Amino acid sequence: MIQLLPHIFNGLTLGLLFALIALGFTLIVGVMEVINLAHGSLFALGAYFALTLIGVDPIADTAVGRWWLDQAIEIRYLTALVFAPLLAGLVGMILEICLRPTYGKAPLYGLLLTFGAALVIEEAIRVVWGSGEQYLQIPPAINGATIFLGTIFSKYKFFAAAFSALAVIGVWLFLEKTKYGAIIKAGAHDSEMVRALGYDLTKLRLFVFGFGAALAGLAGIIMVPIWGLRPHVGIDVVIPAFLIIALGGVGSFEGAIVASLLVGLAVGITGAYASAWSMMSMYILLILVLGFRARGLFGKASALEN
Amino acid sequence: MSKTNISRRRLLTTAAALGGGAVFFGPWKHNRVYAAGTDKPIKIGITSDASGQYANSGASDRRGMGMAIAEFNDKGGVLGRKIETVHIDTETTPATGSRVAERMITREDAGFLIGAVSSGVANAISQVAQKYGVIYLNTNSSSPTESGKNCHRVKFVWDGNGSNFAQAAVKNAIEAYGDKWMLLTNDYGWGHDTANATKKLLAKYGGSVEDEILVPQGTRDFSSALLKLQQASPNVVAAAVGGDDQKAMRQQVAQLGMGQAPAWINNQQDWPDVYGLPIENLFGVFGTTWYYNLDLPGVDDFVKRYQAMYTDTKMRVPGNVFYNGYMATKNLLQAIERAGTTNNIAVIKQLEGHKMSAEERMQHHDAYIDPATHQVQQTIYLATANTGTKDSDDMFKILSNSAPEDVQDLGAQDSCKLESYEETATFDA
Amino acid sequence: MITLSDISPQSRNRVNPQLLTAAVLIFSAPVWLPAIGLYQYIGLEIAIWIIYAMGFNLLFGYTGLHSFGHGAYLGVGAYAFGLFQHNIAVNLLGGLLAAVAAAAIAGFLVALFLSHRRGLYYALLTIAFGQVFWFSAIKLRWLTGGEDGLLNIPRPPIELPGLSIDLNDNVTLYYLVAVILLAALFLLWRLDHSPFGRVLQAIRQNEMRTRFAGYDVWRFKVSAFTISAMFAGLAGGLFAMAQQSAYPDVMAVHQSGLIVMMVLVGGGLVNFWGPVYGVIIYYIARDFLGGITETWLLWYGLMFVIMVMYRPEGVAGMLHMVKGRFVKPSKLKQLGV
Repeated sequence: MIQLLPHIFNGLTLGLLFALIALGFTLIVGVMEVINLAHGSLFALGAYFALTLIGVDPIADTAVGRWWLDQAIEIRYLTALVFAPLLAGLVGMILEICLRPTYGKAPLYGLLLTFGAALVIEEAIRVVWGSGEQYLQIPPAINGATIFLGTIFSKYKFFAAAFSALAVIGVWLFLEKTKYGAIIKAGAHDSEMVRALGYDLTKLRLFVFGFGAALAGLAGIIMVPIWGLRPHVGIDVVIPAFLIIALGGVGSFEGAIVASLLVGLAVGITGAYASAWSMMSMYILLILVLGFRARGLFGKASALEN
Repeated sequence: MSKTNISRRRLLTTAAALGGGAVFFGPWKHNRVYAAGTDKPIKIGITSDASGQYANSGASDRRGMGMAIAEFNDKGGVLGRKIETVHIDTETTPATGSRVAERMITREDAGFLIGAVSSGVANAISQVAQKYGVIYLNTNSSSPTESGKNCHRVKFVWDGNGSNFAQAAVKNAIEAYGDKWMLLTNDYGWGHDTANATKKLLAKYGGSVEDEILVPQGTRDFSSALLKLQQASPNVVAAAVGGDDQKAMRQQVAQLGMGQAPAWINNQQDWPDVYGLPIENLFGVFGTTWYYNLDLPGVDDFVKRYQAMYTDTKMRVPGNVFYNGYMATKNLLQAIERAGTTNNIAVIKQLEGHKMSAEERMQHHDAYIDPATHQVQQTIYLATANTGTKDSDDMFKILSNSAPEDVQDLGAQDSCKLESYEETATFDA
Repeated sequence: MITLSDISPQSRNRVNPQLLTAAVLIFSAPVWLPAIGLYQYIGLEIAIWIIYAMGFNLLFGYTGLHSFGHGAYLGVGAYAFGLFQHNIAVNLLGGLLAAVAAAAIAGFLVALFLSHRRGLYYALLTIAFGQVFWFSAIKLRWLTGGEDGLLNIPRPPIELPGLSIDLNDNVTLYYLVAVILLAALFLLWRLDHSPFGRVLQAIRQNEMRTRFAGYDVWRFKVSAFTISAMFAGLAGGLFAMAQQSAYPDVMAVHQSGLIVMMVLVGGGLVNFWGPVYGVIIYYIARDFLGGITETWLLWYGLMFVIMVMYRPEGVAGMLHMVKGRFVKPSKLKQLGV
């Protein structure tokens, strides 16, 4: 007999992870109206940067390398958690500079450029880190299993879900409650206004794209201990992120969060009762929702509809 | 390997008027004029994946072929002819496999094709190879269909398959762990074939299938399935989960510490997929055809030759994928020598039924190529994680070895219908 | 930036010089392909993918409807062709008709659902449906052979009164595909430049305005999708013959993305012939780079990024500009360019 409650709970934690996966993607689509197909590659890149920051492979045999490896894993992990996304953000900024010629043209060009960039980043990962499966070390405190609701859950899953929730709230607070957030949101819909206020739109875009890329990298670091790490790990990211945006509605941050939880529940519950359909459930959910609501759950009008 | 290929080619830029006068630079063309007859090198087309899910295994496979070919070239080639190779990425995609095989045969003049990890790709290549009568070695795809319903006269299969591994594992596992089993099956052809082999054996030896959990291909989160397993608590879980799905699953089982109870029976673990991972990621019992630390004559020397030839690879010791690539290539070249010709039918006849001594294969039992299915019947090892050592390379503890007769894939004999010699185009490389 | 509407069809002549050039090049291909270092089979695949890409561009370039799941219809066509040979009769015409019909039905049903949507949502729904088809192809193993594909599909001979032409040779099959390709090009040329084609272009430019002008936009969108799916199905049937198999992979979202990429690189948004250039460049670049380096995707990706940055109009747009530099503007106007 299958108990439902643990599966609902599991679905919700999955949903939070989906929210983290989609976060950077949502931000870039919502603010810049660019569909960033390199999201998955940046996700993988973040995890690989973390791998190198934790294990310092290239300099592991030098004095500095040995000193670093002597530090507690907690310290190394936290360092990676802070700096690896920043590095991914830098790569994102380079990508934004490449994107500049496509502004003002059909959204399709941004999408294509980032598709090309995704190929380049993935291949570059193969060249630099090799194509084999790798392992990202995590602190023992968040490893192992725990019993909850009479069933077994991974401690790491809890950590990842809680971390996702914090990241989502953090980004939301930043967008809603700070001056910079207000400027970013204004930039999305009224670039004239941003200029009139004396802000540099070019810099704003650079920052937003970098921020979105950093969030992708962060999601990579968090997800990889669950999924494993290989150069093409990011291909499993873009489609769910896409789905979540469409379900939630373009331009709606809240919509994306609700959609993530819905997708998580759908996958978790079909996983329990009709496991063969668990991958398909999210597509069917999308077809059903968009069949009745043209702009998803909370969508607003957007240039991407043209 | 592709590098040796560039030097032989001259870049020929051809401007051609196309469409509205577009200028494009066509690929180069061979300008080498071959001396007639026996001076012509034997050309082997290497069809292993360099991108996609099996890129890493493909690279290992290629190194194995490379070592065998280098050994033959060092002693003067085969039948007095040097061996050359050309490699094109098959991208872990069947449609690409077809195209690559066509190019290898019709443009690169490859006389033999070697290499595969994905059964879909192997299948696609072998269909084209059969059309032209070109011998093809499937080195590393462990799908039972390869030597079953998709067998071909020109194709030889070198890896043990899911059915062989199940034969080796099921009876012992019922005795050791109990008869209440659950199956965790990847919901696609290979997964179902492997699960069915297990089910048959369970019925035969008195085990029962409590439940079968299907996981779709592409699953990255196994929490629902693992929750169900934990709720049902069977004695044994037989997992037929492959590719990247398996890698994700391994990670999650390890995190939950569910690798010990219940007992897990996994299918084959390819060395390139596990090398360098923490030992906790290897759980339960799994199959392999060879291990670098087998206590058999010749193994140490083989490992040393690998290390001398591939000084800059991350993988410091060879694994089963390398071994299959090496053995397949070596046996093909020996068959050509025995046949005294590169005529395809003559070489096929040399390979069919060919016996390989345990010593020469560095395994515990003699092996042979089944003339009815073209699968190599060989020793199957069961292994588990080796927790009792500090040597990070020494990851496997070999639990048992089974002779080929005891683990034969019985279904293959019925489902494999080889084309007759007459139906197979003659071809001379 | 220039668009399709800026480069208008060249002339109203019955004998179209561009189609003629294409015909000559297509039919002489078996002669010069080996001379430039290619092989017959790749010519075959290129010709088939041109049919697919040209049909796709009716939807993508002309109507401005961005489908990212079009591989599904190619796949449906391939499976239909194979299933027809296996279960009904070994017959060329029947197989190809089955391929086109199956893709038309699949396309029509999806189009009914899609055609009220626009932009990103439209694109996303095409992906979702594409995934459903792909997933089904893997899952319905009894019908499709699952991930191994539908194998051993015969190449039925061309049956003419008193004559039967065997197609097992790649050159002969190529000539069949070449005839079909030319017919498809001719058909699409007429279609794109017909009143129907103009309404499609109007929809791309402004859907709302087209509706106000009294056109039933929904019907046009459904028709464009269905017709484009039919061409994909035809290409799929031929592809099944070329490969003698049908695989689910061509239906995966990644593969559907490739056709978009080819059409754009070639300049399908600015010129009728764009998809042709795109397919040729993709295949040759992949064959060429794939033969020299294992990291060919890296170089291909870089080439692609640079192209989108500096030459987003693709090859066709570049040619247009080159032409503009050599031909006097007055002459161009005369030609209607």
